[in-house]
Amino acid sequence: MARIGVFVCHCGENISATVDCGKVAETIGNLKHVAYSTEYKYMCSDPGQTLIKDAIKEHNLTGVVVSACSPRMHEPTFRKACAEGGLNPFLCEMANLREHCSWVHEKNELTTEKAIDIVRTQVEKVKLNSALQPIKVPVTKTAMVIGGGIAGIQSALDIANTGHKVIMIERSPSIGGHMSQLSETFPTLDCSQCILTPRMVEVAQHPNITLYTYAEVESVEGFIGNFKVKVRKKAKSLDEKACTGCGLCTTKCPQKKIPNEFEQGMGMRPAIYVPFPQAVPNRPVIDRENCTYYIKGKCKICEIVCPTKAIRFDQPDEILELEIGAIVVATGFDIKHADFFPEYGHGRYKDIIDGLQFERLASASGPTAGVIKRPSDGEIPKNIVFIACAGSRDPAKGIAYCSKICCMYTAKHAMLYKHKVHEGKAHVFYMDIRSGGKNYDEFVRRAIEEDHVNYIRGRVSTVFERDGKLIVKGVDTLLGAQQVEIVADMVVLATAGVASSGAEDLAQKLHVSYDSHKFFAEAHPKLKPVETNTAGIFLAGACQNPKDIPDAVSQASGAAVKVAALFSQSELTREPLVAIVNRTSPPTYSTCVGCFMCQSVCPYQAIEREEFKARDGKVVKTVAKINEGLCQGCGTCVALCRSKSIDLLGYSNTQVYAEVVALLNEY
Amino acid sequence: MDNLILRAKELLENKTVQVVIGYEAGPTGVVRPAFISDPANADSLIYDERCVQNLAVYLTKPEVKHLGRIAIVSSLPVMRSIMMLISEQQISYDEIVVLGISADGVLLDIADLSVMQGYIDKSDLSNPVKYKELLAELKKLTPAEKFEYWQKELSKCIKCYACRQACPMCYCTRCTVEVNQPQWISVQSNAHGNMEWHILRAMHLAGRCISCGECGRACPVGIPCHLLTMHLTDQVYNYFKVYAGTSEKMNSVMSTYEPNDKESFIV
Repeated sequence: MARIGVFVCHCGENISATVDCGKVAETIGNLKHVAYSTEYKYMCSDPGQTLIKDAIKEHNLTGVVVSACSPRMHEPTFRKACAEGGLNPFLCEMANLREHCSWVHEKNELTTEKAIDIVRTQVEKVKLNSALQPIKVPVTKTAMVIGGGIAGIQSALDIANTGHKVIMIERSPSIGGHMSQLSETFPTLDCSQCILTPRMVEVAQHPNITLYTYAEVESVEGFIGNFKVKVRKKAKSLDEKACTGCGLCTTKCPQKKIPNEFEQGMGMRPAIYVPFPQAVPNRPVIDRENCTYYIKGKCKICEIVCPTKAIRFDQPDEILELEIGAIVVATGFDIKHADFFPEYGHGRYKDIIDGLQFERLASASGPTAGVIKRPSDGEIPKNIVFIACAGSRDPAKGIAYCSKICCMYTAKHAMLYKHKVHEGKAHVFYMDIRSGGKNYDEFVRRAIEEDHVNYIRGRVSTVFERDGKLIVKGVDTLLGAQQVEIVADMVVLATAGVASSGAEDLAQKLHVSYDSHKFFAEAHPKLKPVETNTAGIFLAGACQNPKDIPDAVSQASGAAVKVAALFSQSELTREPLVAIVNRTSPPTYSTCVGCFMCQSVCPYQAIEREEFKARDGKVVKTVAKINEGLCQGCGTCVALCRSKSIDLLGYSNTQVYAEVVALLNEY
Repeated sequence: MDNLILRAKELLENKTVQVVIGYEAGPTGVVRPAFISDPANADSLIYDERCVQNLAVYLTKPEVKHLGRIAIVSSLPVMRSIMMLISEQQISYDEIVVLGISADGVLLDIADLSVMQGYIDKSDLSNPVKYKELLAELKKLTPAEKFEYWQKELSKCIKCYACRQACPMCYCTRCTVEVNQPQWISVQSNAHGNMEWHILRAMHLAGRCISCGECGRACPVGIPCHLLTMHLTDQVYNYFKVYAGTSEKMNSVMSTYEPNDKESFIV
């Protein structure tokens, strides 16, 4: 005989302002099988929970319905309270009176009636709940960090320093990411390379970190604590153990006219190359698409000059199969380039560059050795215009979001320019200055007040070339929308930060959701900013949205702690709300007919095949089986199964049916 | 049909198969399925325009599977059913020999699965012409008229489940309607329950129906229930450009997701 306890919460006034909680508790208390029904101002508070615990013991309850808020936040709270009261936590259900009733209706009798109906359905459901036991799954204590920029580096080092193994995957030949391309960093103007390269070296030398550069994720299977990741190690055409990194091959390579990716196309590199002098690992790779040998079948000069005979032209790609417990995604971002802007000449004008190109111009290790020279003729620009929000905050261009870092780096660019070209004039067109952050606004003020950068609040309608000069036409909205025309020698666009190329593809391999801009989606925007909705996969850095270095690094450390917390246990405990394929006695074994449509529909690859064999070893029947470590309890397979052979524990067919029938019946 | 009889005899005599499933004329001249395991009886096999039953329905029955390897007389719908059953792992091509019959009644040499695949590939897979007109007329009705039409038609249903039994895709050993814990679909033949059953059957066949029309033909009270599944066949083709029973490896459109799937039907 069921003895149900119902606890109606006022949620302060969130529920009681429109729902007559007293009437709900009283009406429900008169229902059959309801042994106890009460109301309280805050059920989630300590006294509220004590009320539940005491009632379980006093009234010998067999099930509990907490009529309060959405289960998302407080279901674990009340389940725990029930467990402490001596009741199996899965015999506790929540009726959502707040989101489903009080918040969306006005105060009247119908609202209270609806609240009663919601509670009734849960009373009927909880009668059919079964006492479930948590699922335990083992944990492989090796983490994978995808992406070797500053976020990936920080995460990998933090995890490795907790004593766990880390495998880092980077698709380009060196780690370092965008940070290695920057000249100086705001708001301190310290050299980016100087603070980054020690970290890069630390990654390479850390005993707990295995680094695979020039490698990409091929496929991901499995689940939290037990991922199986296939990694494609692209052929570097090099025996990395034999190579000493002397660099002779890179100087002798006859192919020297390949635009250098690291220099943002502003310098050239050979076909066998190290992306930049401080690269980690400091070993060259052969770019097979541009190598004369791979194109024409002869050359092999690098092989001839190599003192250690390390070149391997016939090296194949290698597929590594790795067992991984947790994954940190740190694949970073890209930026839009000048060709995205028809109004600024579609990238036709050589002296309209993007912010990352300016970083290379300003960098001491860049193509101009840190002298600001414009690309067209190498002249030092006397008048330079920076355009902030190029693409960002522009729904017409499909990018409604703020790229966040541009205000700060534009101030930095203008400042660096003024420090290098004292007599030059720097103008900045901006929409708003967004400089929230420690010492950020002071930095922008310094650019304006000390370095006399001319900030103009307004947008630029067009940039065109006249007599070898760039004419920038804009508006100054602080001077009554007065038109402004500046004759510039060079224009720098603070172009929008966008998702890294291949982000969508990777998200699909990882089964992680992403937003309409292809940025990876966090599990909760406020309370789970580091987690994804796939357990065991975490986010770090600008793959989630454009971020500056301190934000990326903090998040990376946050992700590392999540991984470390996961690895601190030998077994994982999972909620047992999973699907289950029924089993019957032989010769049917299950009503499942083995069409395996559930297998293809399952978003989590949680459905396996189970064979039943006769004594002679012959397979009599093959039916579906749910891997409870992988199943997330979404119920898609339940909906698809034609023979209703799958059920969802905690949300079984009989429970849902009882809820529906309760609504249809009078009480 | 001498070729068919000769081939059946040969297969039975050299023990390639243990049973041939085909058609024969009964004592009153009514065509019925024949299960022939003795070569001497193969002479009774016929194939003409009266032979319309979809014989693939027997391939999944345990009592038929127990007979051994099966040769099956197969028109295009039967071949497509076989393809579908292979793709849904209900049978394996090794268990059967396909005695293919072309649209004009000629015995085809279906040596293996790829030959059958080739034959299906070059056939017209859309709904049969005789049903297309009916479907087009139904499409002209307003939603209210359509609902009225189906309510009237389905009111005749006596829940005999002949439509289910005639369908080679309805192979579940336990059908949803037999689930009584809880009883989602009411057992009685009433307006509500009839509607539930037919909507459920149509949805279970969405993307799987191979347009043989056997469900409608089997109905003893003349409900054109095949039009429901055939309409879904049209819809699936419009949205996803696939017909059921066209490949041994095909995934049902209802259970697969592609990033470039159209979502225009989501309101």
